[in-house]
Amino acid sequence: MKKVLSVLLVFVLIIGTLGAAGAKEKKEDGIKIVVMPKLVGIPYFNASEKGALQAGKDLGIEVIYTGPTTADAAEQVKMLEDLISKGVDVICVAPNDAAALTPVLMKAKKAGIVVFDWDTPADESVVDISVHQIDDQKFGEHMWDLLVQEMGPTGEYAIVTGGLSAANLNTWIDHGLNYAKANFPGLRLVTDRVPTDEKQQVAYQKTLDLIKAYPNLKGIVGVSTPAPLGAAQAVQEKGKNKSIAVVGSSLPTDSGPYLEDGSLRVGTLWDPAKLGYLTVVLAYNYLKGEKPYDGQEIPNVGKITVWDDNRTVIMGPPTDFVKENYKSFEF
Amino acid sequence: MKLKIKGLIATKEGILFIIFLAVVAIMTILSPSKFLSNYNLQSLAYQLPEFGILSLSMMLIIITGGINLSLTFSATLAMIVGGLAMSSVFANTGGAFLALVIGVALMLVVAALAGIFNGFVVSYIGVTPMIATLGAATLFEGISLNITKGGAISGFPLSFIMIGNTAILGIPVPMLIFVVILILMWLLIEKSKMGAAIIMIGCNPKVAEFSGIKVKNVLFKAYMISGLLAGVAGVIMASRYNSAKESYGSSYLLQSVAASVLGGTSISGGEGRVVGTLLAAMILQVISSGLNIFGLNRYLTNVLMGFILIFVLAINFVTEKFKKN
Repeated sequence: MKKVLSVLLVFVLIIGTLGAAGAKEKKEDGIKIVVMPKLVGIPYFNASEKGALQAGKDLGIEVIYTGPTTADAAEQVKMLEDLISKGVDVICVAPNDAAALTPVLMKAKKAGIVVFDWDTPADESVVDISVHQIDDQKFGEHMWDLLVQEMGPTGEYAIVTGGLSAANLNTWIDHGLNYAKANFPGLRLVTDRVPTDEKQQVAYQKTLDLIKAYPNLKGIVGVSTPAPLGAAQAVQEKGKNKSIAVVGSSLPTDSGPYLEDGSLRVGTLWDPAKLGYLTVVLAYNYLKGEKPYDGQEIPNVGKITVWDDNRTVIMGPPTDFVKENYKSFEF
Repeated sequence: MKLKIKGLIATKEGILFIIFLAVVAIMTILSPSKFLSNYNLQSLAYQLPEFGILSLSMMLIIITGGINLSLTFSATLAMIVGGLAMSSVFANTGGAFLALVIGVALMLVVAALAGIFNGFVVSYIGVTPMIATLGAATLFEGISLNITKGGAISGFPLSFIMIGNTAILGIPVPMLIFVVILILMWLLIEKSKMGAAIIMIGCNPKVAEFSGIKVKNVLFKAYMISGLLAGVAGVIMASRYNSAKESYGSSYLLQSVAASVLGGTSISGGEGRVVGTLLAAMILQVISSGLNIFGLNRYLTNVLMGFILIFVLAINFVTEKFKKN
C-alpha cells in the first residue's frame, strides 16, 4: 500500500512539473536575458514585465522575467545564484538592497555574465550598465512646473512626501525647491515637507490638517505614489477641487477617481513598461557589442540620455497622466 | 534488499528520502547538465544552511507545542545590532579581527536575548506562543527599523564576508557550520534528557509537570536555543549578503514551518526528528532551485510547493491511520 502511495506521489510530482512546464515555450540555443524586479505581482512590475517580454519577442530572444514574491533581498540572491547555474547571458536586476546583491553579482561576473541594474541602482563596481527611469533633477523640476501650471506662479503651497529618509524623494524635492527659488519667486512654501509613511491614509489626514491650518493654500505637491492620492482625497472631501491644485507622482490607474473630478489635477511618472522594454534592448545591444550613446533612438521608447561615465542611461522625460489619458495605461 | 526497501518506506524519513531522490531525478531530467553541475551543487550547498538552521530552530519550538513567529526577525535584529557594532569598530580601529569577533559575538548574544525574551513571555508569563512571538516579531522589527531607518547596515570587514562565501576543501563554510548544528541538535533532541523533556512537554505539558519535569525551565531554554540558532543563521546571512537589513530572510519564516511539518514534526507538538527536517529542507531547496533553473513561473513554484506539502501531510496521515488499524 505504502509502495503504491509513494509511486503515486512520484507520478503526481512528474505530471505536476511537466504539466506546468508545457505552457512555456523553450528556445534551446540563443541569447538568454534575465530581468529581475524587486518582486513580482504588483502593478508596477507587472507593467515592466509586459515591456520586457515584448522586447524579447521583437528581438527574437529569450527573456526570463522572474523575481521573488516578496521584496526580500535574500530571496533575490538565491534566485540569482540559481540563474547563474542555469547559465544566462545578461542579468538585469532591480535590487531590493544594493549591498546584499554585491557578492552574488560578483559571482555572476566571474561566470562571464553581463550585469545591468534597472529601476534601482546596484553597487556601481559590479554593474556594466545602469538603466535609470528618470533624471532626478528633471523630474523634480517637472513636478514644480506642473504645480505652477495648475495653481499659477504665485501663492501658498505645501509638500506632502512619502518619508523624510527616502533618498530619491528628497532628491526630487531638493531639485524642485531650488528650481522654484530661481524661477518662481512668487511661490511660498507654508511649512516643511510633510512626511506620510508612504501611506495614502496618512497623507489624507495630514492634508486635512494643512487645509485647516493654511486657509489660503493654493497648491500641494505629492511626492511618492500614495501621497498625491491622499492629498486629493482630502481636497475632494473638503470640496476644494477648484481652489487647491494637487499634483504629484502617482500611478495612473490609482489616480483615476481623483483625476475624474479634478481633485488631482495631474499625476506624473515614467512608464514602467517602457523601462522594461529599454532594459532588454540595451542588454541585447550590449551583447552584440553596441554600447548605448547619448541621444540614441530606441524604437518604442524614444531618445535616451547617457551620462559621461558611459554606463548610466536615462530613459527620458516623465509621462503625465490627466483625466483624458489615464485609462490608456495599465499600471 | 527487498526487506530494506520495505523498512525504508515504513518510516516517515524513508518516504521523505525517496521523495528527495525523486525530486532530484526530476530536476536532473528537466535541466540536464545544469542541475547536477558542479556549480549548482555548490550553490545549493551555500543556500541550504541558512534555511536549514532556521528550520531546525522552528522545529525545536514546534516540538514543544508552540511556534516561533519572531524567528527571522530575531535573526535580523541580531545581525543589525552586531553588524552595526562590527562596522563601526572596523571603521574606527581598522582591526578586522577584533571587529569580526565583537560583531559575531554580539549577533549571537542579541539573538539569544531575543530567545530569552520569548521564553520568558511564553513560559513564565504564560502567553500563548503564537501571540507572544507574533508580538515579539513586531517588536524586533520595530527596533531594527529604528536602528536602520529602513536602510541596510554594511561596511563589514572582508574576513566576515568570507564566512559565508568561502569553501574549505570544496565544502562551503556555512555547510560546515550547518553540519555541526545538525549534530548538536540531534544530540539535544534525540539523545539528551532535555530533549526527552521537550518532547514530553509537547505531548502533554500537564503530564510532564507531574512526572517531575520543570516545564517552565525547559520551555525557557528551548526558546533561548531557538533564538541562538536564529543568530547563527543571522551570522551566515549577514555574511553572505554583505549587509544587514530587517527584511532579510523574511520569506524563510513560513518556509521553515513548512520544512518542519513536511519533515514529520507534529504541528501540535511532541514529535519531530532532526533528519526529517533536514530532508524536508533539502527537498524544498531542490524544488525551489530546480524549478528556478528550469524557468518555471515563480507563482507556480509556490503553488507546487504548497501542493507537495499538503500531499505529504495527507500521506503521513493516511499511513498513520493504517498503522493504527
